[in-house]
Amino acid sequence: MKHLVHLVGVVLCPCVPLLAHAADDFSFDLSAYAAPGPFELHGYAELRQEYQGLDEDSPLYRLNFADSGRDALNRSIAALELSGSYRNGESRIAATWHGEQQHDELADHGAGRLYELYLAHQPDAGTTVELGKRAVKWGKGYAWNPVGFIERPKDPNDPELSREGYVIAAADFIHTRGGDLHTVAFTPVLLPVTAAVNDDFGQETGLNAAAKLYLLYRDIDIDLLWLGNGSRPGRIGLDFSTNLAPNFEIHGEYAYIHDHEQKVLDAGAMITRSYDAQTWLLGLRYLSERETTWIVEYYHDDRGYSEAQMQDFLNRVDAAPDALLPPLRSVGQTGYTRPTAMQDYVYLRVAQKDPFDILYFTPALTAIGNLDDGSWSLTPELLYTGIDDLELRLRATVLHGDRLSEFGAKPNDRKVELRLRYSF
Amino acid sequence: MKHLAVTLLLLAVAPLVHAVDAAALLHEVDRNLQPESYEMYRKLINVEPDGRRKEFVLYSVKKGGDKVLALFLDPPSEKGRSTLRLGDNMWLYIPNVGKPLRITSLQSVIGGVFNNADILRVDFAAEYDAEGLEETSDGYTLKLKAKTATVAYDRLVMQVDRKHHLPLTIEAYAASGMLIKTLRYSQMKDFGDGRLRPSVLETDSPLYKDYKSIMIYASIKARDLPDEVFSLNYMGRVDDLRGK
Repeated sequence: MKHLVHLVGVVLCPCVPLLAHAADDFSFDLSAYAAPGPFELHGYAELRQEYQGLDEDSPLYRLNFADSGRDALNRSIAALELSGSYRNGESRIAATWHGEQQHDELADHGAGRLYELYLAHQPDAGTTVELGKRAVKWGKGYAWNPVGFIERPKDPNDPELSREGYVIAAADFIHTRGGDLHTVAFTPVLLPVTAAVNDDFGQETGLNAAAKLYLLYRDIDIDLLWLGNGSRPGRIGLDFSTNLAPNFEIHGEYAYIHDHEQKVLDAGAMITRSYDAQTWLLGLRYLSERETTWIVEYYHDDRGYSEAQMQDFLNRVDAAPDALLPPLRSVGQTGYTRPTAMQDYVYLRVAQKDPFDILYFTPALTAIGNLDDGSWSLTPELLYTGIDDLELRLRATVLHGDRLSEFGAKPNDRKVELRLRYSF
Repeated sequence: MKHLAVTLLLLAVAPLVHAVDAAALLHEVDRNLQPESYEMYRKLINVEPDGRRKEFVLYSVKKGGDKVLALFLDPPSEKGRSTLRLGDNMWLYIPNVGKPLRITSLQSVIGGVFNNADILRVDFAAEYDAEGLEETSDGYTLKLKAKTATVAYDRLVMQVDRKHHLPLTIEAYAASGMLIKTLRYSQMKDFGDGRLRPSVLETDSPLYKDYKSIMIYASIKARDLPDEVFSLNYMGRVDDLRGK
């Protein structure tokens, strides 16, 4: 009898919330929200399980996995991201910490990084001063940002991931006047580079200066951007975004970089080439009547490797004796093996909201094509956010291309990832 | 002949008189629902056919006829997201992305039946012209036509309560004449400063069969904020406005 009661309890248990909802009068207790306390903490915990099918015939497999003898790799990752703030009058201290621990058949690795820690002071609505480590994000592009002058590069395979910032001193002045030129905002930034601070930004040159001028002119968002010559070569840029129709947006970015220095293999030796480079992006976002979102972007970067340069590197990896692989691994890390390291790409993402009347379910398909060598990656994805505070994402990636093409040369040719994220 | 001329004149003027009354009533409805500039706390609930619910809590500020800014306070996965509307322009700020993206009035940042135009609603009179007014047994029927093609609904038919001059129901139609959704106001509540208005807004749609979404208003207070708050650069700092 006891077992029967227990069984009935288990069976009925899922119905209890529904009954409670049915009796609910949709009340809203304001007290939990109306008077925010000075401290606030939120974040997420995440579990990821990855399967990578390795391509034992590919050049970059030889470079990175030759000793392993493996044809597949299973990786488990646990991540935690915490964001907190303390408010006092017109000032606020905010911080974000991100930590990951990963395990696979080859190694265990764990690291925690402080992504942001800064003090913001806002004497009035139009003026803000910030000091500390801050992730500044400039540009209108979804997958790439040619005008992201003072930020770490975005991963086009997962552009919405948070990123680590740099230590900066910045101000933000906003002026709204109405009319055709509705809003003007000016954001000057100082970024020091020393042996102890922002050492991965560029050469140690002391203080770097950058600025952004934002204009909302006749329903067009326009940014004019500048980074002074210093740790990185000086550059200027422009971006814009506007709606051509309520469901059709166009955006673009352009940057001109003076005296860009590219490290490139030349007759087997690393040399540094210096040239003026241009990089730009043009994108469209369209929402159909059936709530399908299309994002298309074309990206060009003079700083990327040409097809011949990339093939030269991959050929050398292919032909090198084992003893020469470690130096070639270092060469790869200078740029050849970074994501989207060549010059011309197209990005396409199609996402369907709530198909088959399943609320909070978004299947999507993302494709990145390398227009220089014809290789591509294709990522179908299923996202479900219908369970309180939980997000489930299943994605698979297939890479395709000739052996000596960018995506064809990757060490893996397929990948499946399941991500479970709990927000709090 | 003289009588005929007067009759024709009256017939010609009558719709104008109605149009003026309709426009005045529409403005009155706007002001009775909320002050021109305010701060507001509300909860949005999406209810699925099987009774499952997902709740969102928003803090919103509005200024003038066409500036609205909203910040998500709950659920934790949405916390810190903000949406801004300046006339026909709308943006969404996601903390991880770190910069505003343009969105459209037809999308919904929360899923469910409410779209962005419902969540970031500006004054009705800012988006619609009052085209007709009919007297009914309970009050009035206001017929509204969108001022531009960029407005989310082409036509609204609003039933207005005779006593309080507040909306009871609103039917929203597409340009094709198709009914997109029905909005129902209920549960009158005193929000202070003499403001008595409905505290619940419920909507369903033939496009989302058996789904419904509910908006519960907990606090609406007149508050005048600087124009600079309604700008892209401010979207990451909206939380600083709360409790001040």
